[in-house]
Amino acid sequence: MKALVFERSLPRFAAARLASAVAGSGHGVGVGPLELLEVDPPRLPGPSWVRLEPRLAGICGSDLATLDGRSSRYFEHVVSFPFVPGHEIVGDVTGGALDGRRAVLEPVLGCEARGIEPPCAACAGGHKGACERIAFGALAPGLQTGYCSDTGGGWSASLVAHESQLHEVPAALSDEAAVMVEPAACAVHAACSTAPPSGASVVVLGAGTLGLCTVAALRHFCLPGTLVAAAKHPAQRQLAAELGADQVVEPAEVMRAARRLSGTLALVTDAGRIERLAGGVDVVYDCVGSPESLEQSLAIARPGGDIVLVGMPGMTRVDLAPLWQREVRLRGAYAYGAETRPEGTRSSFDLAFELVAAARLERLVSAAYPLERYEEAVAHAAAAGRRGSVKIVFDLRRKSRGRTPSEEAE
Amino acid sequence: MSPRPGFVLEVDRSTPQTLFWRGEGFGLERLPVGSRVIYGPEPLPALRDPDAAIRHALDHPLGDSAPLRSLLHAGMKLTIAFDDISLPLPPMKSPDVRQRVIEAVLHLAAEAGVDDVVLIAALALHRRMTDDELRHALGTRVFDAFAPHGLLLQHDAEDPANLVDLGQTDEGEDVELNKRAVESDLLVYVNINLVAMDGGHKSVATGLASYKSLKHHHNVRTMRASKSFMDRHHSQLHTSNWRMGKLIAQSGLKIFQIETTLNTDTFPPEMRFLQRREWEWTARDRASFLATSKALERTPPELARRIFHSVRAPHDLTSVQAGEVDAVHDRTLENVFRQQIVPVEGQTDILTMGLPYICPYNVNSIMNPILVACLGLGYFFNLYRGRPLVREGGVVIMSHPTPWAFNPVHHPSYIDFFEQVLAETTDLLEIESKYETAFATDPWYVHLYRTSYAYHGVHPFYMWYWCAHALEHVGKVIVVGGDRAAVRRLGFSPASTLADALEMASDVVGRDPSITHLHTPPLLLADVQ
Amino acid sequence: MSAAALPPRPRPDGSVRPGPFLLRKPTRPLGAEPLPVERGLGTSYDTAWARRYPVRLARAMLLDDVARPLLRASCAPTVFGLDHLEPLELPVILAANHSSHLDTALLLSCLPTRIRHHAVVAAAADYFFDRRLKATAWAFALGAIPMERTRVNRRSADLAAGLIEEGWSLVIFPEGGRTPDGWGQEFKGGAAYLAKRCLVPVVPVHIRGTRAILAKGSSTLRPGPTEVRFGDPLWPEADEDARRFAARIERAVALLADEAETDWWSARRRAASGSTPPFRGPEASPWRRSWSLPTSADPTPRRQRRAATEPDESPAPRRWRAKRSPASWPERQGD
Repeated sequence: MKALVFERSLPRFAAARLASAVAGSGHGVGVGPLELLEVDPPRLPGPSWVRLEPRLAGICGSDLATLDGRSSRYFEHVVSFPFVPGHEIVGDVTGGALDGRRAVLEPVLGCEARGIEPPCAACAGGHKGACERIAFGALAPGLQTGYCSDTGGGWSASLVAHESQLHEVPAALSDEAAVMVEPAACAVHAACSTAPPSGASVVVLGAGTLGLCTVAALRHFCLPGTLVAAAKHPAQRQLAAELGADQVVEPAEVMRAARRLSGTLALVTDAGRIERLAGGVDVVYDCVGSPESLEQSLAIARPGGDIVLVGMPGMTRVDLAPLWQREVRLRGAYAYGAETRPEGTRSSFDLAFELVAAARLERLVSAAYPLERYEEAVAHAAAAGRRGSVKIVFDLRRKSRGRTPSEEAE
Repeated sequence: MSPRPGFVLEVDRSTPQTLFWRGEGFGLERLPVGSRVIYGPEPLPALRDPDAAIRHALDHPLGDSAPLRSLLHAGMKLTIAFDDISLPLPPMKSPDVRQRVIEAVLHLAAEAGVDDVVLIAALALHRRMTDDELRHALGTRVFDAFAPHGLLLQHDAEDPANLVDLGQTDEGEDVELNKRAVESDLLVYVNINLVAMDGGHKSVATGLASYKSLKHHHNVRTMRASKSFMDRHHSQLHTSNWRMGKLIAQSGLKIFQIETTLNTDTFPPEMRFLQRREWEWTARDRASFLATSKALERTPPELARRIFHSVRAPHDLTSVQAGEVDAVHDRTLENVFRQQIVPVEGQTDILTMGLPYICPYNVNSIMNPILVACLGLGYFFNLYRGRPLVREGGVVIMSHPTPWAFNPVHHPSYIDFFEQVLAETTDLLEIESKYETAFATDPWYVHLYRTSYAYHGVHPFYMWYWCAHALEHVGKVIVVGGDRAAVRRLGFSPASTLADALEMASDVVGRDPSITHLHTPPLLLADVQ
Repeated sequence: MSAAALPPRPRPDGSVRPGPFLLRKPTRPLGAEPLPVERGLGTSYDTAWARRYPVRLARAMLLDDVARPLLRASCAPTVFGLDHLEPLELPVILAANHSSHLDTALLLSCLPTRIRHHAVVAAAADYFFDRRLKATAWAFALGAIPMERTRVNRRSADLAAGLIEEGWSLVIFPEGGRTPDGWGQEFKGGAAYLAKRCLVPVVPVHIRGTRAILAKGSSTLRPGPTEVRFGDPLWPEADEDARRFAARIERAVALLADEAETDWWSARRRAASGSTPPFRGPEASPWRRSWSLPTSADPTPRRQRRAATEPDESPAPRRWRAKRSPASWPERQGD
């Protein structure tokens, strides 16, 4: 079967890094370690494993960072080569309880998938993202499907999944909506695990997929006082407003908007530019993950406020003096788990399904490419904001294979 | 040769192109045949001996007032208030009129042995003046004698310890003024009456007042009822100030008002062509124009701004009168009209105007989009007496680059007003009711107004209200050559060229409209019959 | 376990270690008594090294070849009254009014060579000699000696007297400090005392225009014209005490100030009739004192400014046209 394979090749990794630095993000694919190869489908690692044939597979920011050669060295031990990238997957299941039906993959490979008994404390509590055994067990190391050499990944015609990883897709939900469930689940986890107190002033920096899903999740599951979203591109601003932001501003206006929102005094340079706020907003969700966005978050978070890092950051140099002096809490929000809700504990994925349907997040899927045009797809994903797009996916549905669920339902 | 009066030119095929200001630059435009161009009167000759005229005015006051000399005695509390940086425009070359007048006053004060003298810049809610600006306005001699001793103050409208409530007028308007001024034995006000709006009771009632007072006449309703605010007998703004002035007089505060008028000799010799009628440009003028406009095209905006703001106008004193406020102001207005009035017959469908780089609120600063609107629809639109120049439902076309640029030190509240308030709505009453109080009381803007060089938080609102009469009266506003996003944010229509603008206007005024161009600066006042 | 078996002590990574004992100052053991510290600053600073020949040579080069051209460029001094200095036998005491830090350098650069290269300057001990580096710098550059200005101090008085007796001329500012508002301050008795003790003449000097260039409390230098006037030397009289002599010196400087404003003759006539404008300014509120300063920025014609009714035929002083940016300096339209 055809698959995009990421080989371990240091020279190609370096070439990709150079190319992306020179030509811009997403342009290192041609010289990088990613190649379209004809490979055998992965074997089932054991019982309770089923085959999953992807219909749509998304391209995520962390995938782009890996392809650019920019991902942090932290991940070296939790990735096994060669692997097939792609962890935002909706596909058809063959075998097991959901045989013949569509399912969304929860990519985290926790204790259960790795066949480790008894499961670690995190997995037992439903917080698979915090699993302590991700480099151990029956499978090769890999924190998620899409970074593991034994499981395959979404950017191929077939992969294997543990039954515990699959969530059935209701018939009424389209493929596009289903492929948004995984990023929505990340956003749901960020919003619910570090929920702002009711009536709090919230700023969301970044309006890519994750930023927009975070805005939607905050609006749907929490009760923020005023929600301000900072978006660079007009299409993103439009969507942020539709998904529930009270105010949408450009990145250059964030400081002033935050000042007006919190009604505080500010510390300015001689030229009148606001350097930091004396007070600040209650919670800042940083969905960009760059040194500049982190610096900006520290400048606008109030003393005792929260900064939640939702997007994957890399090696960053940042002045932590404001963090210390203002007693700001800096937290990471990774993947998903179980969220405590007023109605009880529910998994992030369940809430994500709810969010996708309620906020109609399928409109965030802007373009679909076949595997063969992967270079264009990656370049588009890297420049998504500028090109008025949000989420780019690979379309792996074969015309001969079958009809779409909506057709089947008729 | 005596200066010629202003007149209205009818454009024909022999008319050369007309000069249009475009912010920090200018160009030539061809107006359609049949358009009118209003040219102001030529500058009157300045007084030959201004110092003697000032001394004469101080010794021979108008109205019910004794000569200044006899009002000064040792042991009294004397306060001298003067107009701030917003006048005159462009800034005068040295010595400034205020310098001359204040030195003459202080001369008498020194002779009389007055020890307790304080100078106050009557800036109301404008920004504080820098030391250089004060030195330019007052002269080094006065500055060095007063500033080091802390006797040169700038009115602080947000200092509750320095404000005194004088009560309310018959119409319930609060009058709250600067404490030092109210508690003086004599308040001398030194005014420059550049346009007919300035002076009279407005000098003290607005210049030394606080927000509590100003909001009674700086609001949408009042500005809509001021038609125009250059004509005080038809201006609600002035009626309100006059009521306040009466209350102030009744409260016992003695005011010795000194008002001056300037001629319209606005540009230095090397920019003389800006002042002359196009068909009277000599070869030298034409060469100047060409060289300057070509050079400006290549100059980065920041440098062009600096060059223009360093221009010092040669305008000088044409009259000075002192004494009782009402009597003085009537004489002053006579002199203003003598210099500026141009009789114009009938209204027009389209009014065009080129906006220069300077308005009262961006001296040594950037003209942001809000100030562009204020200059065009506030000041220039209202340069009339009688009826507006443009008919109701007509079109105003202004030319200015309208950059999306703000000076964050001088105009911090303007940036927020533009980014937040105008993004939501441009409707005046909605803006007034929803946002004005929040901006006026925001502690950050108050802090910047009091300690930095920033206009008050509420000031952008006043700029927007200044356009109230025009926005109600006019059908469409088009800005030629402006930044499209900024122009749209203001609620106006952007056009690239004058021809396109006229084409866009035809949707509103039809295919064959009458066009009038206001050729100003230099200043003029149209008397529309 | 023997010491040899112990592993070597780990060295701190990458840190700079202080040098061994002889290369750096030793640390004192706790049990040892510290040596008494001699500060040697203020009036006890010893300036004798600055009067040795090599140092004097260096100072002369600094003054003549560096300071003088710079001062000429920024202060454009005009010197009057050098003929008063010619017949005098050294040493002399030069008593000048003080309005700016530039005064000393300017005065020195205007003196004839024989005085200039053999002069010391009395400088305030608490201001110029409070730190070692400052003291060294001023002792070298100007030949300064510390002078106590608030109380009578035997040491500084003896030092000054000793130097004068050795033949050094003394430059001193009897006001004790720079003028805060442009008017002069009362002359203290130091110069008078030294003149009486050493029996040398006091030459009054008036320096005009330095305040406009660099005033007290200002950090900006605005080049402009200056005038240095040397007056008739004054000899101490036998029955005159130091205080009265100091007052006489003050009157002499006031006369020179009047001369600078008007002319030699008018100044003398006014001195004779006792109507010289007061050196210390009018008794009035601060603004009126500043207002009545005879500064060169005064645009009012001199006719109106002076109280005297005598017609003044002398031409108006040359006004300095400095080059400044248009925004900060007003363009004069002409006088």
